[in-house]
Amino acid sequence: MIRGIWDRETVALLLLCAMLPIAVTWLLAEGWGGAARLVLVTLCIGIWQLVWMLVRAQPPSVAGLVTSLAIVILAPESLSALQLVLGVSLGIVFGELAFGGWGRNILNPATVTLAFLGFGFPAAPWADLPIQLGWAAIPAALFAAWFGVASWRLLLGAGLVFAAAAYVDSGVLELWLAVLVVLVLLVADPVASASTPVGGWVNGAVYAGLVVLFHATWQGSADVQMAISAALLVSIAVPLVDEIVISLWVARRRRSLD
Amino acid sequence: MLWSRQTGLTVDIRGPVPSERGPVDRIITEEAAINASADADLRVTMLVEEDELVAQGAPILKLRHHPEIMQVAPMAGRVAAIDLAPGRRLSEIRLFREDDVGRRQYAPDRAHRDDAALRSLLMQTAQWLAFRSRPFGRPPVPEETPAAIFVLGLDTKPLAPNPIVAVRGREEDVARGVAQLLRLTPGPVYLCQGGAAGEGFAGVAPHDRICRVRAAPIHPWGLPGFLVHRHHPATLSRPVWDIHLEDVAAIGALLESGLVPETRLVSVAGSAATEARLVQCQPGADLRGLCHGRVRHGPHVVLSGSPLEGCMARWLGMRDRQVTILDAVRDDRRDHWLLSALKRASRQCPIIPTAAIEHALGGALPAVAMLRALAVGDRETATRLGALSLIGEDLTLADYVTCAEPRHSVLLHRMLQEIAMEEAA
Repeated sequence: MIRGIWDRETVALLLLCAMLPIAVTWLLAEGWGGAARLVLVTLCIGIWQLVWMLVRAQPPSVAGLVTSLAIVILAPESLSALQLVLGVSLGIVFGELAFGGWGRNILNPATVTLAFLGFGFPAAPWADLPIQLGWAAIPAALFAAWFGVASWRLLLGAGLVFAAAAYVDSGVLELWLAVLVVLVLLVADPVASASTPVGGWVNGAVYAGLVVLFHATWQGSADVQMAISAALLVSIAVPLVDEIVISLWVARRRRSLD
Repeated sequence: MLWSRQTGLTVDIRGPVPSERGPVDRIITEEAAINASADADLRVTMLVEEDELVAQGAPILKLRHHPEIMQVAPMAGRVAAIDLAPGRRLSEIRLFREDDVGRRQYAPDRAHRDDAALRSLLMQTAQWLAFRSRPFGRPPVPEETPAAIFVLGLDTKPLAPNPIVAVRGREEDVARGVAQLLRLTPGPVYLCQGGAAGEGFAGVAPHDRICRVRAAPIHPWGLPGFLVHRHHPATLSRPVWDIHLEDVAAIGALLESGLVPETRLVSVAGSAATEARLVQCQPGADLRGLCHGRVRHGPHVVLSGSPLEGCMARWLGMRDRQVTILDAVRDDRRDHWLLSALKRASRQCPIIPTAAIEHALGGALPAVAMLRALAVGDRETATRLGALSLIGEDLTLADYVTCAEPRHSVLLHRMLQEIAMEEAA
């Protein structure tokens, strides 16, 4: 009879609140140029959501703001407005709207956009993140984990694997900023990350593991590029991880109860 | 490691909370009714006529397809009205109270010796209807033998009365009732409790088929579905029954005295109640009689059942032990035309996996996978994850948390009905 509040838009708003420290820090560092790009990307996403609402009756979501924030922070620098709009359109339409809107997508639309921009326009240099963004990402992660809109297992799993790798090879530490920001903005997205508890650990651990692997083997790549590639690969693998975890659970239950 | 930790959620309901220590009033309301919802599809044969006097505990109807199972009068009285829907489906049978008619006494002697006689006594006295059989959550059919029986000695629904209070001082009845349960099943009988060891089951002698189970005293772990799922999953060939502790005591008392218990413990509480209290009242009691003088001024609704799954009713439901009085929310605002058009045309919003959803299913099973399987009607996956042990009631906490439309409890109910129909065919 009584109803709770944890519907799709509440989760989206909480995610947005969690990302506020990152947004403010980044806008302070980037100034008006950054703000203009944020407005452009948000507008582009908004227009596409409007089109899908009118044509397919798909309600728009506040989560589009989180997506646009992640895109402008991590997108390669010196892209023209047209290139940016092209990448965002592709990412938001094929990454999210074509699947039925936020919550039904498999990949994070921001990850798709960034991968497209990175591989589509390889001449553009990858963004250099301001150092204070890393410090802003910590309260963002804590806020999201506290409210349960991001999996604390995922965050901790990534942190532990990264710390272990840094213990073995301290050269990995130079990546911490990109790894942390991409982790909070893209990997920890509740829709595209693992939905099972054990899957969360695996998801985080594989992400950090992939970044470390890229660092060791992928010469001449930017920090952000490595982190985004790892995020893309891990979110493709995540449904499989969830399926394996559930199958293991079913098998173990069958054994223990029969 | 994989879904073995018991978690849950506390649902805060504003308003007074019934005290377990206070006095428990006994209220027999002037009117009472036996009713069934339209989708329960309960086809019956009446055994009484309008204006006839019936003793408390005397049969007033039997089920059409299982004439052995009867429903009895909740109080001594006069049959005021019999409402049957087309096809002799039970809608409502109202009674007026007439204390002089007395109580019907049954002879329990044969039931002590003979298992078949025990079953037939339970069916005659409607105690059979206190059992719920999983899968599907219906009263068991007469010839069914359960693979296990769960006795629920805890109730974690918000504002629910504690079953321990209901059986305080009736240890012998509980022990006798549990002994009868052992005769109904060749399998184990699980005694589920939330608090200290042995609470509520102090008089039960150890037996190799009695398993004592401690559940986390947090919703949803007081729902039988999750305990069945965890300890003895129900399957089509191995049905599992559950029964409330108070009903077990009632069976024990019936076997001793031959009388059907007159009352059950019911909590009357909610955000629009001026005072929360526990009362002993008859099944099917008039909710207005129970709430009289204890409701705040202003619009309100009275639910039979807990705030999570209760529905507006005039009479206390046959299985309900709670009356919830809530402030009526009047929603007169009209949406913008575009919003309402969008609402009608769009698919419902998907659920987003959060920690809250994991908690709402008690950490007992892959919550998001289960809810998604229900949302898309994937029967195979839902069954694999344990849907046959659950019934709609078990998902009401998830419905509350996610605010999802259509409700997952309704989706599960429909899915189980489909499976049942296929099995019957």
